[in-house]
Amino acid sequence: MSVLERLAAFFAILGHYPAYILAYFFETLFMLIFVVVMLIVMIYLFRKYMARVQLRIGPNRVGKAGTLQLIADALKLVGKESILPSRRDDLPYKIAPIVVFLGLIMAFAIIPYGDFYYIGSLTITHSDVSLLLLFAALAIMPVGEVLAGVSSKNKYAVLGALRGVAKDISFEVPMMVSVLALVMMASARTNQPLNLENLISVQSIPYGIPQVIGLGVFFIAMIARAAYSPFDMSESDSELVSGHSIEYSGMRFGMFYMGMFGSIFLGSMIVSLLYLGAYNGPFSGDAGFIYLFIKAMVLVILSFTIWLSVPRIRIDRFVNMGWKYLLPAAIINLIIAGILTLGLSL
Amino acid sequence: MVVEGEKIDQSREWVELNIGPQHPSTHGVLRLKVKLDGETVKDVEPIIGYLHRNAEKLCEMDYYCDSLIYFDRMDYVGAMNMELGYLEAAEKVLGIPPPERAQWIRVIMAELNRIAAHLVWAGAFGLDLGMLTPFFYCFIEREKVLKRFTAVSESRQQTNYMSIGGVYQDIDDQIIYDIEQFTEEFPAKLEDIFNTFVKNDIFISRNKGVGILEPEVAIDYGVTGPMLRASGVEYDVRKAEPYLVYDKLNFDIPVSYKKDNLARFLVRFEEMRQSIRIIKQAIKKIPDGPYFNPKAKKSLMIRLRGEGEAYARTESSKGEFGVYIVADGSVKPYRVHVRSPAMRNLAVLPHLAKDVMIADLFSISGTTDLVFGEVDR
Repeated sequence: MSVLERLAAFFAILGHYPAYILAYFFETLFMLIFVVVMLIVMIYLFRKYMARVQLRIGPNRVGKAGTLQLIADALKLVGKESILPSRRDDLPYKIAPIVVFLGLIMAFAIIPYGDFYYIGSLTITHSDVSLLLLFAALAIMPVGEVLAGVSSKNKYAVLGALRGVAKDISFEVPMMVSVLALVMMASARTNQPLNLENLISVQSIPYGIPQVIGLGVFFIAMIARAAYSPFDMSESDSELVSGHSIEYSGMRFGMFYMGMFGSIFLGSMIVSLLYLGAYNGPFSGDAGFIYLFIKAMVLVILSFTIWLSVPRIRIDRFVNMGWKYLLPAAIINLIIAGILTLGLSL
Repeated sequence: MVVEGEKIDQSREWVELNIGPQHPSTHGVLRLKVKLDGETVKDVEPIIGYLHRNAEKLCEMDYYCDSLIYFDRMDYVGAMNMELGYLEAAEKVLGIPPPERAQWIRVIMAELNRIAAHLVWAGAFGLDLGMLTPFFYCFIEREKVLKRFTAVSESRQQTNYMSIGGVYQDIDDQIIYDIEQFTEEFPAKLEDIFNTFVKNDIFISRNKGVGILEPEVAIDYGVTGPMLRASGVEYDVRKAEPYLVYDKLNFDIPVSYKKDNLARFLVRFEEMRQSIRIIKQAIKKIPDGPYFNPKAKKSLMIRLRGEGEAYARTESSKGEFGVYIVADGSVKPYRVHVRSPAMRNLAVLPHLAKDVMIADLFSISGTTDLVFGEVDR
């Protein structure tokens, strides 16, 4: 029994529909709390890891080993005055951070989490096209960034938004083509390959093994989506002074900041879901969520290492890379997937 | 400002972007007025003067020995080299040459400071390109140099160590041992830092062939130092017109003929290796004897009178640093003028950053090694 059904049974006295509405509401709330706590843990982890890489100590003043530092920072951000540029486009300016954060939360609400011991399945959305839904939700975040860039009425922000659009177009096509190869492989075994849970359950070996090229392309695309080094052209603090979020302060800036770390976590989750065997592990069964989490965290640490060790790539080179290398690689991957599916029926 | 070459099409509308004076990659308070065509930089106009402190004029109002502190604060990451430049000129005017031991100490300190200044540059250049980590590696090594400075001068950055006719205090065996220790340990660390940069394909692709500075242009603009040597001109004041005891030391002048950002990067790193070589020799050869000229005792300092005029040039970490002093026989100089290498190197930026991407503008301005205390004085 999944969490959703348990919650619905708990509220069953209110009738069928109100019970399910409440069940969805509370499960989304739990998920939201989980995501926010995860973000705080991740930012703490990032700061400590960055400090170790850079031969520093990192936060160590507030709480034991600086564990409360992030809570203090969050409180500080909430308490800060939100300075608004006077020439802003008011509505887009104000909804842009919300759009970014909402897109992130929506994507988290769609991905399947697997089982967690006696609590059961943690998945919220049970849809036959959850794969499509996931990538639709992922496409929302860039909209918020463009809104922020254009509505701030700042040249740096506009340049950042322009770079962001150029970047998104260049990596999304290869990303979708590499996902197409997954669907192709899954479609040989199931009628509903667009259902993420179905897609995962029909794999004999993790998709990352037959589709190494696809895994590479997809991971690069996820780095570019999260916009950290080497693909942080749209933010680029040393050139465009953090690009689209330049005019934001206080909690609105905090939303962009959390959106970025959320993207790293989300990207790691999606890569482990699609390519690294998701919530399956050697002693599978109840601990699916733990497996997924561990795989995602390994990718998160890998992402941090990449972030800290490479310089920023130039935007024209990235667009070149997207169209001239990633897209052909993704298409080759598609062909290989076709051969494997039809010829070897893997 | 219209830079040489074709004129800018005035009929078109450009995006005019104001970069700085408060901007993370302008290394202080540089302001750049940039005309943009999309991502391409069409024209750059550097605007300086935000850190102008009137240092040259202030020198006219102070005793010869007191003016030193203004030079400490010019190139604040290479204070020893600045002091050396001033003292070379002041000692000519005052007629108080430093004794042998002081000259060797000055060479050691100047070269140590060259290493420290280049490390600051390397770290900041990494930040310009979006590399966060090498910055800390560089600064950890630099801190070791500053520790030695603290031992000799009781000050980290604005050392005020050299004084007229010698140095402020003698270096003892412990300090010499410490510096020797540093020269033993540093080369391996330097190679580590070097590798974090050059073993990175993105770093190479960002710098190779970007910001090409032809030697003729460099000479026309008065560019000196590592920037000039990276353009293939083998000119170093330490060799061309040796001061102190540089003629008794065995070292090479690194030159590159690639003329681009990467060449400037490589030349600076090779200079650090050569500096280590110089320090190693100097520590062995340092003679015993007085560390200051008795004519410049501390009690006599403010009574020193100069006559005539003198120009001294030294090789600071940025390039040829010249100081011109006119004395009128009083206890204060009549006029002091400074030839700032970083300012000349900055002047060539509009030429270099033409028709490049915005990202390259910052990597080019990074390789010019600007320190605004010196540009604006």
